[in-house]
Amino acid sequence: MHRLLGLETEYGLYVEGVDVSDLADEARAVVQSFSGPCAKRWDYRDEDPLKDARGFRATQLTFNPEDIKYEKPTGKHLSAREDHVDHILTNGARLYHDHAHPEYSTPECRTLADLVAHDKAGERIVWACAQTRARQAHREISIYKNNTDFHGMSYGTHENYLVRRDLPFDWLITALLPFFVTRPLFAGAGKVGCEDSRVQGVPFQLSQRADFFTEICSVDTLHRRPLINARDEPHTDPRMYRRLHVIMGDANMSEYATALKVGTTSLVLSAFEQGFLPTIVLRDPVRAIKEVSRHLSGPWLVELDDGRTMGAIEIQRTYLKAAQERFVERDDETKWILKEWETVLNDLETDSSRLADRVDWAAKRQLLESFIESENLSWQDEALFSLDLEYHNIDPERGLYYALEQQGAMRRFVTDQKVRDATEHAPSDTRACLRGECVRKFGKFIEALNWGRIWLNHEDKIVEINLRNAFDGRVKDLYREINESSTLAELVRKIVQK
Amino acid sequence: MPDRVIKPAEPWGKPDDGGEGGPRTPDVNRPNTDKLLERMRRVDPRAARRYRQRSGE
Repeated sequence: MHRLLGLETEYGLYVEGVDVSDLADEARAVVQSFSGPCAKRWDYRDEDPLKDARGFRATQLTFNPEDIKYEKPTGKHLSAREDHVDHILTNGARLYHDHAHPEYSTPECRTLADLVAHDKAGERIVWACAQTRARQAHREISIYKNNTDFHGMSYGTHENYLVRRDLPFDWLITALLPFFVTRPLFAGAGKVGCEDSRVQGVPFQLSQRADFFTEICSVDTLHRRPLINARDEPHTDPRMYRRLHVIMGDANMSEYATALKVGTTSLVLSAFEQGFLPTIVLRDPVRAIKEVSRHLSGPWLVELDDGRTMGAIEIQRTYLKAAQERFVERDDETKWILKEWETVLNDLETDSSRLADRVDWAAKRQLLESFIESENLSWQDEALFSLDLEYHNIDPERGLYYALEQQGAMRRFVTDQKVRDATEHAPSDTRACLRGECVRKFGKFIEALNWGRIWLNHEDKIVEINLRNAFDGRVKDLYREINESSTLAELVRKIVQK
Repeated sequence: MPDRVIKPAEPWGKPDDGGEGGPRTPDVNRPNTDKLLERMRRVDPRAARRYRQRSGE
């Protein structure tokens, strides 16, 4: 791909006998069970979640009033470091606690293969932590890679795309909405039921997250969630780039679905960067994503601003055509995306059950239908919620997605060996390898670090390695310097000389 | 449960350098429905009722 990509996953956590109000402590304990080499001092100075990409600063973030009921007054204010218990790993990833969830942010990747491998590596790392914690606490712990607790609480799987800053953000909002609203057709993870109490008669829907969006655009993520998140934290040169922080997607268990979700979105952004501007304007995007999600078969009609309707597949084909016209000969991953995108849309049009070997909602639906038939149940049976949850269990011996994968029934995108490698090694073609190598070689000297900078303590002086403009050749040069330095003094000498 | 017909996915790009040659393309195209159902029957039907989370991002 021609851009930096990353995924952040907040994992669902169930600890036998532990109340939801104690989950933050448990999530921290899971993260702190990480036993590999790492650095632990994350620096927050470059973060500003109130900064809005539309050119202003929000006054505050909104919080879910239902969730606040679970806050336990401890009388103790935790610093950001105490709260998040950050672990920065040799693979360049960040493992931490956020809002009572273990969270894993992949390192920056340039290829879909690396991104999918690191996403799956995150599952293995979090699961290993949970196992360690379970042994220590003598309690059963389950970890779920999903986005809902079926009781109205959602947690996110965020995508990150480095985008040219000269694309006006307002323009991006308009251009992305029809694509995002219809993307659950192949990127939805599927969900039993509906978490909008006003809506009845939705036994199963395409998306885990669609029920939770109420706004078109804002910096919020915890409550009153928007389809387009406007958080302006580029973690790189803000004059050149923005980081598009996508919060409307689902957590995918399917490697194929992760690859197609991120790959198509990246190509759509590339088309925008080359001047493509779709003419589709939706009347009510928030309503539209829910309507798309709540229908299991076509035509998935969406109302346009001029009163006409348009099928969701036709909307997707508009973006596909723009990408085909521009990128058909670009590289192997792009060719894969274009071919699979078209195939998936064709399958949706003819027989969506064909997608059960690739697309999470279709795989989950087929599993549940087989169970309903076998056990003579109805879609209203409570057990279906539990089976939905278990599809996302990342324990390979329990998770239902993994039951399918182990039988060879789900298409893979990467090998197990590549996932294993990703648990320890960063992609070699992004700045993540600089972070990872510093943690590996000079971890005990790291004073602090974040996505864009590393601060090393050398003889009580702080030396900064700036990664904010580290791309391509600069990554290679810096990596060579770190790799070839046998001592910190040698590395510092090379950095200072520049 | 209908039998799945898994079409061979076209390998894209170069082979992984991992050496193991893991399963890029499924080599079993008909999942054992009985095994899947057995695993599903082991799931506690009330697990989701107990499952409560804090609101995340």
